[in-house]
Amino acid sequence: MKNKIKIFRAMHNLTQEHLADAIGVNRQTILAIEKEKYVPSLDLAFKISRYFGVNVEEVFIFNEKTPTIMET
Amino acid sequence: MKKNIFYLLVGCIAFALLLIFWYSVELHVSLFIELAFIVGVVLIILARNKVTDKVDDERDIKITEQATIRTMQIFWIIFCLFSIGAVMELLHIPEFPRLSPSIHTPVILPPRLMGYIQLGLLCLMIFLHVGFRIYYAKKYGEFDTDEE
Repeated sequence: MKNKIKIFRAMHNLTQEHLADAIGVNRQTILAIEKEKYVPSLDLAFKISRYFGVNVEEVFIFNEKTPTIMET
Repeated sequence: MKKNIFYLLVGCIAFALLLIFWYSVELHVSLFIELAFIVGVVLIILARNKVTDKVDDERDIKITEQATIRTMQIFWIIFCLFSIGAVMELLHIPEFPRLSPSIHTPVILPPRLMGYIQLGLLCLMIFLHVGFRIYYAKKYGEFDTDEE
């Protein structure tokens, strides 16, 4: 899952450490999410997007093609 | 409690356990080390809950979870290999009746050999867990660095 955390951090002039402290995770976790090594839980994804004051879909991009209810 | 004090405490407990183990071996009474091991583990768990500056987030929990699952998956297969052999010996499967009737004497493993097997299994479990922990830590970006 792609994400724009790095862009949002740059926009708000935030370090990984600062963001990690604010949402209660390790800095390494923020780095892993940014590098797409780790997909955060829904809970953490909401925390991150709420912190930046945007919707979760503005920060995280779900690329996988899945059938919608209209298609099934 | 600070994280460093916790690690220091773990070191002290490990050293104390080593001394108790040596004492148990000398006296040939395993009850000492068995009780001490339980007390040691309980103390570590209690102390861990008192650590204030350690953040165990969801990624850390996932790494531990995945490493434990994989360790158990491999360990129980190897453990079963030994156990099946032991249970077969215990149940004493009779020979085919048409063959010459012979008295089957069960093979009893000497206690020293049993000890080596147990030690081997214990070491295997530790190595598997450490190995899988490193693997999953690497997979989930534990050793990655960036410009910050």
